[in-house]
Amino acid sequence: MTTSTKKPIRPRTVLVGVAASPGYAMGPIQAIANRSITISEEKLPRERLAHEEQLFLKALNNTIREITSLKVATVERLGINEARIFDAHLMILKDPTLVNSILDRVKKESMNARWAVHSKIKELIAEFEKSKSELMRERAMDLRDLYNRLLAALDDSGPVIENLTMTSGTVIVAHELSPSTLISLKKEEVIGFATDSGGRTSHISILARSMQIPAVSGLRNVSVLIEPGDTILINGTGGMVIINPNDEDIRHYEEKLAVFIKQKQELFTMRQLEPMTRDGKYVTLHANIELPLEADNVLDFGASGIGLYRSEFLFFRKGTPTCEEQAEAYGYILRTLKPYPVIIRTLDAGGDKLVSDISATDEANPFMGWRSIRVCLDRKDLFKEQLKALLLASKEGNLRIMFPMISGLNELRAAKALFQECRHELTEQGLEFPEIKIGAMIEVPAAVMMVDAIAKEVDFFSIGTNDLIQFTLAVDRTNELIANMFEPHHPAILNMIDRIVTAAHREGIIVSVCGEMSSDPLSTLVLVGLDVDELSMTPWSIMECKKIIRSINYEDVRATAKAVLKLDDAQSVNRYLRQKYLQTITDLGISSFITSQDFGSDLGDP
Amino acid sequence: MIIKSIPVTNKLGVHARPAGMIVNITGRAKSDVTIVYDGTRANAKSILNVMMLAITPGSSVQFEVSGDDEQDIMVQLEQLFHDNFNEEAN
Repeated sequence: MTTSTKKPIRPRTVLVGVAASPGYAMGPIQAIANRSITISEEKLPRERLAHEEQLFLKALNNTIREITSLKVATVERLGINEARIFDAHLMILKDPTLVNSILDRVKKESMNARWAVHSKIKELIAEFEKSKSELMRERAMDLRDLYNRLLAALDDSGPVIENLTMTSGTVIVAHELSPSTLISLKKEEVIGFATDSGGRTSHISILARSMQIPAVSGLRNVSVLIEPGDTILINGTGGMVIINPNDEDIRHYEEKLAVFIKQKQELFTMRQLEPMTRDGKYVTLHANIELPLEADNVLDFGASGIGLYRSEFLFFRKGTPTCEEQAEAYGYILRTLKPYPVIIRTLDAGGDKLVSDISATDEANPFMGWRSIRVCLDRKDLFKEQLKALLLASKEGNLRIMFPMISGLNELRAAKALFQECRHELTEQGLEFPEIKIGAMIEVPAAVMMVDAIAKEVDFFSIGTNDLIQFTLAVDRTNELIANMFEPHHPAILNMIDRIVTAAHREGIIVSVCGEMSSDPLSTLVLVGLDVDELSMTPWSIMECKKIIRSINYEDVRATAKAVLKLDDAQSVNRYLRQKYLQTITDLGISSFITSQDFGSDLGDP
Repeated sequence: MIIKSIPVTNKLGVHARPAGMIVNITGRAKSDVTIVYDGTRANAKSILNVMMLAITPGSSVQFEVSGDDEQDIMVQLEQLFHDNFNEEAN
């Protein structure tokens, strides 16, 4: 694998993106042509201009959203300093000088939106490029990046695909990869992906994960920086790539690859082992998935069911899916997992997950806005389609239905009533259905306060920790000024979880945790200690989680949980947990603790 | 209106990130904020305008702040430059 031990002539460049699919790969690059953007100077008739302005504003909004999610991912893995460049990008996109002047070009000069974007930003790029300051000249790159993003957002057509004659063992580098391009690739020819755009939930990421090929997306400009003959190192676990790695990088890479391969082998042996503590407490481990296709592999990862299928991913497309299409997708997952349980969460659109045909745009406070169950209860037509699809698929396996963002009994009862209505309508047509368990997601603080009453009316709880933390601590973690206040181990959160578990167990129902928190090693210990019955996480985290559970005593973590519930603040909790368990976790060789920062972060100045 | 000249003491000058930090302050200001550098005047609420001035290390810039919160904004701007935008000093 050490193909480039010779001194690289081309510069070494480190880029940070989104960890789309875990694993490591190194090899020669294979570029796939960027989307060829067609622009024409064509003037528009007056009556089209208002529409064209809207098109631009929508594209602008989408671009802002795309960069914001990239920023969140960067903050999480590399810290706020590395994410600052995205703030600059966001500010440029919100800069009235830019936005108004593009809108003016449409309004006053009847330009089409693409040409207005093209002409304005190219002018700016030219200005920057003739600057005396080298730093400014380099910033033209940021504008080029925004230029590409805006034009891509204005354009729905896929990229132009070059004739793909691949040599085996190459890393695909592209601006973005459409599903059709992906499908045309052969697994044995490709060892990794690196793309400019896309997040963890884009097609490329999901497909790469299911193909088990390492991938990093959201790299902004990797496709511009590479040249034929370059070697690229992909760290899909940490979300970084290095173009033309040096000898030390390669040594690092080989070490990590060895660990990764060992872990993958362990995965296979671990699969047979029960997630049981040393003193015999069983903790159910489930997988979170986003695409039906992902169901194929979850049992291989050692999961004993799906704890969260995010059904909204079916809706991320043009036009809502029909009842039949949905039933087919749900049925596929249920059949694949049978007899293991599958928890399907009903449409959870809104917040940061906009569904084009449904969601309202421009809410001042989208996370507290018209989203999730609220949308469903207003758009009963859509909701009933989904509930009927779930009923139709229910005979294919072990289905559980979960309603998201329940804030009180009214919403829960309304949702359940609609479900009964659907069931009734279908039974009238002579269909029969098995008993289906219904659960509520507990992620709004109001629901925690009402949890005793809610527990009497559902069959299970699932705690959505991301929203619960955000709402309870009143912390928007995308806001860098306060992002460090997003503390899963805040005693307020831990006491809430304790309260939820107590209420659930009093009614004899199970509690699952399906947020990111369930896969953090220290959080795992606390959650088991708090008596949470099920943990649901990305399939790749299951093995590590199982390892941790098998290494601990339930009685011990139970005592730990009792102790941390009484501590004053998150810092004390973290200190307590680290002192008690960090060594154990390190000894287990848990890779979550091997972060991308090991590669150093000489990312250059933004 | 307050007018003040502030020295640029960080190592790299006002590139994208510092420009963003400036606009973070000016963008929230009720006051009008103008930045003057090398004979060019620009609206300091626009990151592109600020970036385009290509303010070099070792120089100084003038801010003109006019409005209800002019005192407060000027203090914040001075502090930002004084802290070298959390970067290395020149």
